[in-house]
Amino acid sequence: MLGGAVVLWLLVNGAFYYLSRVRTGEFDQRYARHILIGGGIVLPVVVLTALLVWGLSILPDPRRPGDGLVVRVTGEQWWWRVEYWPEGADAPVLTANEIRLPVGQRTEIHLTSDKVIHSFWIPALGGKMDMFPGRETMISLLPEKSGTYRGQCAEFCGASHAWMAFAAVVMEPADFDRWLASEAADAVPPSTDAAARGERLFRSEGCGACHAVRGTENIGQVGPDLTHVGSRQTLGAGRLKVTIDDLSTWISHTDVLKPEVKMPTYDLELDQLSDLAAYLEGLK
Amino acid sequence: MTEEHQPRRDEDQKEFAEEQASLFKITLAPLIWAAHFAACYGLVAVTCAKGWDIDAVRFGLLVASGAALCGIGWVGLTAWRQWNVAQTGDFVNRGGRAEDRHHFLGHAAFLLSIISLIGVVFVSLPLVLIGGCQ
Ligand code: HEC
Ligand SMILES: [Cu+2]
Repeated sequence: MLGGAVVLWLLVNGAFYYLSRVRTGEFDQRYARHILIGGGIVLPVVVLTALLVWGLSILPDPRRPGDGLVVRVTGEQWWWRVEYWPEGADAPVLTANEIRLPVGQRTEIHLTSDKVIHSFWIPALGGKMDMFPGRETMISLLPEKSGTYRGQCAEFCGASHAWMAFAAVVMEPADFDRWLASEAADAVPPSTDAAARGERLFRSEGCGACHAVRGTENIGQVGPDLTHVGSRQTLGAGRLKVTIDDLSTWISHTDVLKPEVKMPTYDLELDQLSDLAAYLEGLK
Repeated sequence: MTEEHQPRRDEDQKEFAEEQASLFKITLAPLIWAAHFAACYGLVAVTCAKGWDIDAVRFGLLVASGAALCGIGWVGLTAWRQWNVAQTGDFVNRGGRAEDRHHFLGHAAFLLSIISLIGVVFVSLPLVLIGGCQ
């Protein structure tokens, strides 16, 4: 595609240069006619027809039915609620802010939204699809190469729209199954003293009113599920990395990082922040 | 001055009356294209939204495409005959005389029917290649 564009660009500009600088004299009528009809009518019609036929042949792909797995994504301000429904499942695996897909399989992504319109877009894997409150749309994706791609909300949805991104991780099917099984499991208990102190803070600060950590008494559904937040590639829907430093920055500067964010900013002591961060980072 | 102008105006009016058909003809091919375009987009959108029988609509629109192509082809053919390039071999229209303007209108209608033909083919391609509402 890019190659074709480069060739056309060179051809057009080359002709322009040739005719305006090199051969400036009067033209033989027949010669001029051939250039005009050939380059001005026949060539564009042939190229455009070929592109149109090719484009139409792949146009229905994103609406093809998937191979079994369904990923349901809800757009929130300004993060992504994600449910995995493997074939035959009667309850989903809940997570947030990251999409994982098995390579070589067509996965149906069912999209909806909480309050305002968002748009789900992983440019490397396919076109965008809008997410509407109270309605479900669908796009099916067939990733061909494993790797990590960037996804982004593509419909203005409020103050932090630009910070509403996510990582799309395409994995070998066996790795994907293993990952999904671990994602379905409850949270691991804290393994260090700092993390244990962090878990107590998480409860006493009331984080669990908005966040669920499965296997604990924290069952809030307002914000992203944090059961395995430590194994995500990004924090805050693509805003930061999942490191101890970034986690404490997130908790203490939430409103700076994401204007109008629906999570309160916490004014905690430094050691409290690092305990909380250690707890969250350990939620692999 | 008025004496010189009076007969000129009569001539203009006479020529205009004679060329009305040609003027109409240069709009005909683009009009067919526009009607075909509106019919395709409108009917397919409504059919898919309402769940009507898309196969029947598709067949009907393919027939309409065939008819549109024939109509444009016919306009193009008469326009080609009106343009005198085949006799003179001269692609440049001379100016000045009523006859030259008559040829020029044929030339313009011919080119417009070519672009309309291409337009109708492009609009019809999804009917051939996609075929459903998916
Ligand atoms: C009023 C509800 C609410 C409370 C209370 C709350 N949060 Fe949040 N939290 C949110 C929301 C909403 C988001 C998503 C923000 C965004 O990205 O737009 C979020 C995001 C996060 C994230 C990033 C999740 C991810 O997937 O990247 C972490 C980590 C987090 N909160 C930790 C905490 C901690 C720790 C506390 C307690 C100190 C807390 N939250 C209290 C609502 C809340
Ligand atoms: Cu947005």
